[in-house]
Amino acid sequence: MDAQTVSKPVPISDAYRVVAGLFDEMFDLERKPRPGCARVVADLLAREPDRLAELRSRADGMFLRMGVTFNVYGMEEGSEKIFPFDPIPRVIDAATWAHLEAGLMQRVRALNAFIQDVYGAGEIMKDGVIPRDLVLGCPQYRRAAVGLEPPHGTFVTVAGIDLVRGADGRFYVLEDNVRTPSGVSYVIQNRVVMTRLMPDLVRASGVRSVENYPADLLESLCELAPGGKSRPKVALLTPGIYNSAFFEHVFLSHQMGIDLVEGHDLVCVDHKVFMKTVHGLEQVDVIYRRIDDDFVDPVVFRPDSVLGIAGLTAAIRAGNVSVANGIGTGIADDKAIFAYTPAIVRYYLNEEPLLPIVETHILSDPDVRRTVLRDLDRYVVKPTNASGGYGVVIGPKATYRELIETREGIEREPSGFIAQPVVQLSVHPTLLGDGVNGAGPFAPRHIDLRPFVLLGSRPRVLPGGLTRVALREGSLVVNSSQGGGSKDTWVLER
Amino acid sequence: MLRRIADSLFWAARYLERAEWRARLVSVNHNLLIEGPAPTGNAWSSLLAISGDQELFEKHYDDTDEISVLTFFVLDERNPSSIRSCINAARSNARALRHRISSELWLEINTLHLDAKAWSPTRLGTSEVFDFFQQLQDRFYRVAGVINGTLPRGVGFDFLGLGIMLERAENVTRLLDIKYHYLLPRLEDVGGPIDLLQWAAVLRSASALEAYRLTYGNLIRTESVVEMLLFDPTFPRSARYCVDRLETALRRIARAAPEPAAAPTGLASDGLAGLLASRSAAEVIATGLHDFLLDVQDECERISGAVFDQYLRFE
Repeated sequence: MDAQTVSKPVPISDAYRVVAGLFDEMFDLERKPRPGCARVVADLLAREPDRLAELRSRADGMFLRMGVTFNVYGMEEGSEKIFPFDPIPRVIDAATWAHLEAGLMQRVRALNAFIQDVYGAGEIMKDGVIPRDLVLGCPQYRRAAVGLEPPHGTFVTVAGIDLVRGADGRFYVLEDNVRTPSGVSYVIQNRVVMTRLMPDLVRASGVRSVENYPADLLESLCELAPGGKSRPKVALLTPGIYNSAFFEHVFLSHQMGIDLVEGHDLVCVDHKVFMKTVHGLEQVDVIYRRIDDDFVDPVVFRPDSVLGIAGLTAAIRAGNVSVANGIGTGIADDKAIFAYTPAIVRYYLNEEPLLPIVETHILSDPDVRRTVLRDLDRYVVKPTNASGGYGVVIGPKATYRELIETREGIEREPSGFIAQPVVQLSVHPTLLGDGVNGAGPFAPRHIDLRPFVLLGSRPRVLPGGLTRVALREGSLVVNSSQGGGSKDTWVLER
Repeated sequence: MLRRIADSLFWAARYLERAEWRARLVSVNHNLLIEGPAPTGNAWSSLLAISGDQELFEKHYDDTDEISVLTFFVLDERNPSSIRSCINAARSNARALRHRISSELWLEINTLHLDAKAWSPTRLGTSEVFDFFQQLQDRFYRVAGVINGTLPRGVGFDFLGLGIMLERAENVTRLLDIKYHYLLPRLEDVGGPIDLLQWAAVLRSASALEAYRLTYGNLIRTESVVEMLLFDPTFPRSARYCVDRLETALRRIARAAPEPAAAPTGLASDGLAGLLASRSAAEVIATGLHDFLLDVQDECERISGAVFDQYLRFE
């Protein structure tokens, strides 16, 4: 081979800068690989830039052919995008994961107990741990859920808990998602693609499998069947093909072998729910719904909804059908309630929370509000009634005008916002879009982690979760709707 | 099986089959123009006339030249039955039911859709167009192969089958009609070399020429071609074969009901079966092939309506 035509592998130590003040997931400050990362560093990061770029374009081709896409709202119909994928995996060593797993199970058990209590006896409010007004005034509080007792007391079948790692290297909970968390299909598909792209590395690393998730989910759903029916009819309720997560709805229903239904496929008769099949009506026992409370039943919630099923709530109350997640679970992932979640863990489980939360200020308190407004440009302000990163204002990056508007918004409706200090999310080596430039093929980019927890008769955590990466330099926003991408997340067996 | 899903299966199948026949129709016409003597009048106009697209075509194009017509039939998304539009429609139906079909089938349809998106008019130039249609045909065979190789033979498969067979029966009659329209043969040409060449092209575009020779011998006769494409129960693109498959699918769907009707009731396909059983090729030619073909098409429409009313309609 002619030595001159072969480009030399870029030595990672030269090409990559470890930034002081940020936690780098792959390297310590002396540029030594962190626990579990050595193999990926030695194998993958040492490859030639062209080869890495080729890996990514092969991955993109696979996602496109498989139709692993999401829809972006506000763009013309049929605009499916692939979720940008970074071929450098995020590695979590076994010991770190064991800690996270325990913390996640603890947290979801506590949140579920909280929901049960809020719609049941309300002990936590009687005991003054959480102000009653905050709970009852929460936009996600659902009177329709009062008195509901789902099988096994499970309101939260599926939870997605957003974790970030701070500059100190500790994991913090940024946000809970216990309504209709999405993203798990990308976790599974990312792994499918990675095992095709780099089978040797995946095998040699001893990566824990993620493919059992759909089976575990189905088992958890079946456990919700009214009256403990042994072979219940389970269906996944989707808002339809224009929903941003439609691919995931298709993927999960396919993997579980259950029907994917839209609201108009279902009808309530005598407080029972039926599917309209070619041979008439067939009863449905469990509905895994991927539609918000607001749209699920036009009789009880938004009357203009065409996505839901008239009479569903009554059917749930009659005990003839179960929905997952249950109605009203949004009370537990409300951004204001979030400030109380450590207290919630202590109250129901009598345990210290294993996972700390990102410090959260409730702006309806005048003193807190004054402090925050004084230094607004140092906080992240989030509306309490939105998700997906919409409406979030990051103080240090906001324009003067945005800050003024945010201040006005807060003063107009203090309970509509919370403030958190800016967390310097950890960074991870990420392949740059434009291939080789002066900085080498990689650069540090901010990431977060959304693990998925299933709460059936026993809680289970999918090993790893969705690692999202903010592809723009310096950006802290990882949401797919805002230019984020994803990485495969490798939890090592040991 | 959900009504909505059955409906999507039915239409995904129809659009795929329609795309395939569009390709067959256009390529047979193209072949005739290359091999045959210069036809009287514009041969592409008659294709437009028979497909019922004349008006739409004239709205968007000035000249009825080859590249315009090919573009219109293959690429133009303003034409709802262009090959690309049909593939798009098949894919968007398939997308709604991805969870009910095999990943292999989805992958095949999605890849076809992505490729169709990338087609450029240069593929339709004289030097490439033959390969283009050849490769396209191969793709449709692959889809058929994946359908047969991966889908369980349940009600879903039967609804796919209904879509395929209805569309196929309709289109085989269109193909025969092309010959009828394309050049109403001058009396002195009947049975002559041009006539034979055209019938051979019709057979070839139905992938039937070799099967024809095996069954009917080397001599191409109008009556035998009609016999094969309408009445032969063994040839997979004959109207008769289609109606047999429709019967099977309809019967299996009815039997899959939780409480199947005790007494056998009539099938939606009975009319078409009766029509085909009542005539021979010779009679049909004698009394007017064109009218008979229209009758077959009407029966197909009726079946489609009946299936919709019974199984697919909401509420």
